[in-house]
Amino acid sequence: MRLMGHRRNRAPLLVALVLALLLFSVWSVSAQESLQPKKAPSILFQQIGKPGGTLTLRLGASPKSFNFYGVIDSSAYTIMMGNVLEPLVEANPVTQVLEPALASSWDVSKDGKTVVFHLRPGVKWSDGVPFTADDVVFTMENVLMDPNAEGNSVDRFTIGGKQVHWYKVDEHTVKAVLPQPYGAFLQVLSQAMMVPKHKLAEYVYPLNPKLKPGAINNAWTTNWNLKDIVGTGPFQLAEYTVDQKVVLTRNPYYWKVDPKGNRLPYVDKLVYLIVPDDQVALAMFKAGQIDRMVISGQDYPMLKKEELAGGDIRVFRGQPVQNTPSPLHVAFNFDEPNPALRAVFRDLRFREAVDYAINRSRIIDEIYNGLAIESGVIGVQRTNKAFYNPAIEKMRHPYDLKKAAELLDAMHLVDKNGDGVRELPNGEPLRFTLTAAVDIKEHQDTAVLIRDTLQKIGIKVDLQLIKFGLCFDKAMAGEFQAMILAFGDQPDPQLRKAIWQPGWPLYYWHRSTMTKDGKLNQEALLPWEKTLWQLFEQGETAMNPAARKKYYDEVQVLFMKELPVIFLVKGMDLSAVHKDVGNAFQTKDGVTVWTNYTVFKK
Amino acid sequence: MFGYILRRFLYMIPMMFLISVVCFVVIKLQPGEFGSQYFENPRVSAEAVIALRHRLGLDRPAYEQYLYWVKGIVTRGDFGYSFAYKRPVGELIWERMAWTVAVSSLSILFTWLVAIPVGIYSATHRYSIGDHLLTFFGFIGISIPSFFLALALIYLVVSTGGTAVGGLFSPQYIGQPWSWAKFVDMMNHLWIAVIAIGTAGTASLLRQMRSNLLDVLGAQYVTTARAKGLSERVVIYKHAVRNAINPLISIFGMELPEVISGTIISSIVLNLPTIGPFFYDALLNHDQYLVMTFLMLSAFLMQIGNLLADILLAWADPRITYQ
Repeated sequence: MRLMGHRRNRAPLLVALVLALLLFSVWSVSAQESLQPKKAPSILFQQIGKPGGTLTLRLGASPKSFNFYGVIDSSAYTIMMGNVLEPLVEANPVTQVLEPALASSWDVSKDGKTVVFHLRPGVKWSDGVPFTADDVVFTMENVLMDPNAEGNSVDRFTIGGKQVHWYKVDEHTVKAVLPQPYGAFLQVLSQAMMVPKHKLAEYVYPLNPKLKPGAINNAWTTNWNLKDIVGTGPFQLAEYTVDQKVVLTRNPYYWKVDPKGNRLPYVDKLVYLIVPDDQVALAMFKAGQIDRMVISGQDYPMLKKEELAGGDIRVFRGQPVQNTPSPLHVAFNFDEPNPALRAVFRDLRFREAVDYAINRSRIIDEIYNGLAIESGVIGVQRTNKAFYNPAIEKMRHPYDLKKAAELLDAMHLVDKNGDGVRELPNGEPLRFTLTAAVDIKEHQDTAVLIRDTLQKIGIKVDLQLIKFGLCFDKAMAGEFQAMILAFGDQPDPQLRKAIWQPGWPLYYWHRSTMTKDGKLNQEALLPWEKTLWQLFEQGETAMNPAARKKYYDEVQVLFMKELPVIFLVKGMDLSAVHKDVGNAFQTKDGVTVWTNYTVFKK
Repeated sequence: MFGYILRRFLYMIPMMFLISVVCFVVIKLQPGEFGSQYFENPRVSAEAVIALRHRLGLDRPAYEQYLYWVKGIVTRGDFGYSFAYKRPVGELIWERMAWTVAVSSLSILFTWLVAIPVGIYSATHRYSIGDHLLTFFGFIGISIPSFFLALALIYLVVSTGGTAVGGLFSPQYIGQPWSWAKFVDMMNHLWIAVIAIGTAGTASLLRQMRSNLLDVLGAQYVTTARAKGLSERVVIYKHAVRNAINPLISIFGMELPEVISGTIISSIVLNLPTIGPFFYDALLNHDQYLVMTFLMLSAFLMQIGNLLADILLAWADPRITYQ
């Protein structure tokens, strides 16, 4: 009884204490969790937008999955990347310069091997669960480094054969430990989208031992309950109608604001209509069912005319910012089986002669309707503020058939029998096959134009026009003599060294630089290829952006000088948008501005 | 009759097996495989592609891949797994089946409902202005590729200020529950698909019906029927048409696989959520088990169609019997 009495007396006190504790913890959590929003860069705004409305865009193919790391599929990327999932650091959509995103700041240690990231306070997943250091470590260690995840990034975060490791310091701080300094680290991080641990951990193999390796690929498929697919991005998935449309709604917890401090995104709904056929998409755009789309060079004149005639659309011809496809190039097979022809292909004078003989302004005017520019090299265009080397402009060879003929004469490739075709030293005609994609009109037309101009300087070219996919397979197998091709590319040369550095599978014009088991074959390297290889190696380990740029500046100069491949032109970024969409415009530099979270419906 | 049908079903087993071998060989003859498309992708390393090939078993000999697939079907009724979608192929095909069957059945229905009466009219009014006009349109219908007709119709709709182009619904109705407005919207879209896909079939069927009926109309029993004093109506519909329709029943049987596989290009152009474009995509992607399952389904329907046609023939024509 006494005890009971005691309790009765103490109860209110206890309750008060508990309440106070609870209040305190709520207060401390909310203080800790109050969002520190990011002001979206002012370069993305023409005016402050009006909230509300639906933005409708086109998707060229159905998504294969919604799992960013479980699939290699451009539709899945279009839907998830930037709309639903976001990285710790992000590239400015206009300048490509890296900025804070889910990490609000970071410190690099003196030796360049440790980077500490401070996560943006108060960020939440679209289901309201806080975004924490656990999510970062989960994404970086368990998801994107899973070699069995189909869209993994193992090679991006493996440096010199060793993996980057991530550690939680506290709820809002993570530490990355690099095996050695790695220049492109923040760049690759800008493509590492954070995924929620609380939704995905049970589908990841080593964490859930009941699963098989690669189980992650079977999560977030197209039949998944969309409520369980959450992100930190401006939108969240709301509905998917198979092969017809994907609907996203605004994420109420989104952490970016406009320059006036209004919450982004402006639009309530983002709809992707799945329209595989370009002509139908164009018809739907003209009928007002699609708000904005990327257009082709062939459609540009027609749409521009409509704009000038007072139609309700605007058509943009933007400086190339898109990295894919890389500039169109011509490659000659350095491993050509015929020794006489191989010697010619390896002779710089021959490649220079071809370079002089190519009339790029004709390609731009006649084939691209004026909607292209003379390209930079290895995918670095003028708009790329981080890597472009202006020195290459002075190294361009002008269109000069006389000079081209002189170079060939100097190689003792002359037409002895008067049939209009020069002969090789062994008496065979100077004749080769040029392979190009028949299903990409620009490639095909460029091939025809090159054949015709080379004929003028006594080189006989046979065309082999086949499907792009086959071109690609032939290039990879080394079954070609000359090839016109373009690749998917990246803004940072390090990320696509598999194309441009000798010894990689995509360095297809000189496949013997790679051994059968995928290693570098030192003996096969030409003298300048040794330098090229070295420059890429140095660029990889430099941590300081200025030092990195120096190496890649040299790479660009080397490509201009030695012409491993001959770069032609790069198409411009063409798009059309209805006039009732705000914050879609062009900057003074001619770059087209468009982000789904800053545009609005007037 | 029952024994006959059972026998036909038993014949199908070795037939399907043979077809599956041929299909698999043809698929494997295509250059490249599922992994090779990723080499040009800037996000994918070469090592990742090699690992992917290994995980999907694509580095094993082709016959092993085939046997693995057959084993799944025989032991578990599992038609395999789509490389691209990471989901069972049966499920993926099923998801797209409803619209596919609906659109194809409608266009086949359109074909027959138009072609048969018009064919009869043409035959009974031979060399009249009406016949000439219908023949003229028939030939145009045969010679215009259906995807082109689809594009032309879309152009027509857009240039007259219409918005019902592409797909089966306007964007706001996709994924919404059924309502009268949604139904009307669907009808607004559907007529383009039905006409574009159905026209070529209509035209050729019409020609077939006309010539069959003309053959029959010249036969002696028609003259006899007329001589007996039967009305022209009875002569045509009860005697002539019934005999003229037999070859069309065989054609009908052949059309069954069209329900799922017909008019891939038109479906792409018309942006229909049917299985045709899906299959085309799988072919390009080398999504081999998806392609195989689809081809097998198509072959199976072809055989069922033939069987149905044979049964229908026996029913329509008492002269035909099967042991």
